[in-house]
Amino acid sequence: MYVKGVGMTKFGVHSKTSQELCYDAIMEALDDADMQLSEVDEIIIAKGDSINDGERQRMFPGVLSSILGDLEIPVIRVTAACSGGGAAFWNGVNSKHKNTLVVGIEKLTPMPTKKITDDLMMASERIYEQTEGLSFPAQNALIAQQYMMKYNVSSDDLALVALKNHENAFNNPKARFYGKKVTLDMIRKSPVVASPLRLFDCSISVDGGAAAIISTDKTDIEVVGSSLYTDRLPAFEAESMTSWQATKLAAKEAYMQAGITSEEVNFAEIHDAFTPVELISYEDLGFAKEGEGKKLIKKGITKINGKMPVNSSGGLKAKGHPVSATGISQIYEIVKQMRKESGKRQIDKTKIGLAQNIGGVGSTVTTHILKHVGG
Amino acid sequence: MIIRWVCEKDNKKWLYPIEKCIYCKGPITKQKGKKSKIMGITKVNIPSPMHPIIPYHVMLLEDEHGNRIPKKTMREHKIGKEYVVERAKKNDAVIITKIKYDLKEALNESLGLLNSYEIKENDKVLIKPSIIEPAYSYQAVNTNPKLLDALINYLKEKGVKDIIVAEQAMLGNDVMVSAKKAGILDVCKNQNVNFVDLSKTDYDETEHDGFKFRVAKEILERKIINIPVMKINSQIGVSGAMENMIRVVDEETHKKMFVDDIEKTLPKLIKTLPKFLTVGDATMGMQGQGPTLLGEPAFLNILFVSKNPVALDAVFSEAGMLKTPEYIEKAGEMGIGNNDTKNMEIVGDELDAIKYRLKAAEKGCTAHPNIKLIDGKSNSYMFNSALKITSKLVGLLGYELHLVIGTQLTKDMLKGKERVVAYGKDAIQKVNDLGVKVLAEISEDIDDLEKVVLLKGVLEDPKKKRITQVDKVKSKLAKFGGKIKKSF
Repeated sequence: MYVKGVGMTKFGVHSKTSQELCYDAIMEALDDADMQLSEVDEIIIAKGDSINDGERQRMFPGVLSSILGDLEIPVIRVTAACSGGGAAFWNGVNSKHKNTLVVGIEKLTPMPTKKITDDLMMASERIYEQTEGLSFPAQNALIAQQYMMKYNVSSDDLALVALKNHENAFNNPKARFYGKKVTLDMIRKSPVVASPLRLFDCSISVDGGAAAIISTDKTDIEVVGSSLYTDRLPAFEAESMTSWQATKLAAKEAYMQAGITSEEVNFAEIHDAFTPVELISYEDLGFAKEGEGKKLIKKGITKINGKMPVNSSGGLKAKGHPVSATGISQIYEIVKQMRKESGKRQIDKTKIGLAQNIGGVGSTVTTHILKHVGG
Repeated sequence: MIIRWVCEKDNKKWLYPIEKCIYCKGPITKQKGKKSKIMGITKVNIPSPMHPIIPYHVMLLEDEHGNRIPKKTMREHKIGKEYVVERAKKNDAVIITKIKYDLKEALNESLGLLNSYEIKENDKVLIKPSIIEPAYSYQAVNTNPKLLDALINYLKEKGVKDIIVAEQAMLGNDVMVSAKKAGILDVCKNQNVNFVDLSKTDYDETEHDGFKFRVAKEILERKIINIPVMKINSQIGVSGAMENMIRVVDEETHKKMFVDDIEKTLPKLIKTLPKFLTVGDATMGMQGQGPTLLGEPAFLNILFVSKNPVALDAVFSEAGMLKTPEYIEKAGEMGIGNNDTKNMEIVGDELDAIKYRLKAAEKGCTAHPNIKLIDGKSNSYMFNSALKITSKLVGLLGYELHLVIGTQLTKDMLKGKERVVAYGKDAIQKVNDLGVKVLAEISEDIDDLEKVVLLKGVLEDPKKKRITQVDKVKSKLAKFGGKIKKSF
């Protein structure tokens, strides 16, 4: 399978509706692919099911059918919380159709923080986690604490992850923090959300949409690895809370499909919903040994000019995290980097790129490996 | 306590109760941790509707089997320390237990946390559930049959042989029909325990502060375990440990308790009863327009246990972030129990950690959007039967009218209300005394169908000044027609 075109709205605070954001992302992807909508055989949409976003709109496949006109093709919706976009892309790659349009969309900013927290918390286990106050920051804080104690990782190490991703977002016009300078001091002094995590350790909830067209037609971008694994919903049930089984399995399978090892990956977009998750993912994806993720960030290896750049887009942290759109926006970034269209944040070596998208705390994980095959 | 369901063969573990391993089909053992250690703790500074009070902490606990759970607390704890839940020291302590998929375990844990609770083999036990109207168990109107089942099992394990389940309906409902629909009768049948309709038993007189109560003899002679559904009550604030005992008196006493001000007579009733244990059923709990089907399940997943009903109700009110009902405060003043949660022993889960704002009742709300209820401290039979009539008119177009009930109606309550219907002889008497013009006077003694037809006639016709003899004949015919239909 190949990626024929990609599109993405700016991530941030939008006055546009979900429908409009969807339309914009799809239009850009069709233009990018130089295709007509009539050439699309199937649409897969990733979108959450919030009743708090001010739109009260379910049945989004039908909505999509309305805004795109007389489609006469299947439109299906997938939900996997924060990995909805990755799951939609995985379904597209594994589809029998010639041209599949995948689109992720979310509108979060009309909700006050309390409601967003509550809405996202519904993606955690209801009896053991929701009733015990395990919002996503709280869950990830407990994980972070275990990880930090086990491997002697400091808050300053986490701050370096945030700083790197903010530096990248500074140069990404589609990122929430585009053109906004964030310093190490700001990160260190930001308020504690759930100890040990500070505000700048957490990704930012935004509105946004992203789309990609997956095709059997050969293009310059080939999807050489595509995997999805699911683990138990509560992270505390896992044998190890500091290494996520679904990430490991998804990575192993994607590398096997691509016929490569982790060392051959040139750059990656990683699900940094919280800064420690990026460090844990370095290890689970095989970029670092267990417990040595911090070395990559401390030595600058994952910076944009480093040996293995991670989150050149700014990541969820600074580009923004519109839940179901995130996974497809990672594909967007990889495609743009491979085509050398990333302006000031352009990476040198972009032959093989990896996208990792996580739903829940390591519960549903997708890994996609893309290869630049010409053009 | 940390629990896992473990496959005996391959050691696979589940967080939920399962009967056999889905892989090897082998048997399952319940694995319970004896000790748990604090592995981690986070201080959370962002609120959410479910967790409105900040900061709070979430601990990560691990037992000797390596099983973990998160646990919310408002207190500071240190990593590495053992986490211990102390037993209650005081007799009037309230135990709060969150249910983790295993109701029986939660019940046993709650009872085990009481400072003492003696139950002997030859005790005669009466279990008093809440059964107020025919409703399925998931509607949170009546006591959860699973809780009743777990409690009977607990008693049987203690060797108790003489157990009855007893309740009576005061809502114009047949308690047997209600108990059947609620699944309570099935539990009694399966457990070989008698279900007793208290209205068909003998009563004895008790007295407190000049008020005489006729109380079911069984209540006075047996060891009572009260298992009310914990609810918002749109009439008196909260239905719980105290309110559930209203239905142990006869109908006349019940009515008189409201006439003489339920806020005062309910605490007096509790004072005259023998001491009893309450297991407050918030497996669901009810919010909104409770206590009937107009309310909605609150999905609380909690048990409240106490030997003091006042303390238990006070804790529930505060957990739901409600205004403490007057009768609970009165009971506190009368020394029946502690209603001050700040100076109360609360064991198990912490009160502040479970606080969650329940949806409050809307005053005057009925099932029909155009019928408003004005309650002059009517008895609960009149209150609920008024709501029941309005529920039969849902879906019909109508024009705003005010259904007035109760003995304590005042001119102020009726000021500016143009379309008024007096329901029940107390309200009819009162509006006449006050010189208030009404569209209709509907007696509580006529058939339900007649009441509905009379109210319908007024609801649908904005020009109607007064119900006529023709309307009354129509309502009688409707009743007659209904009876003929039933006979076929």
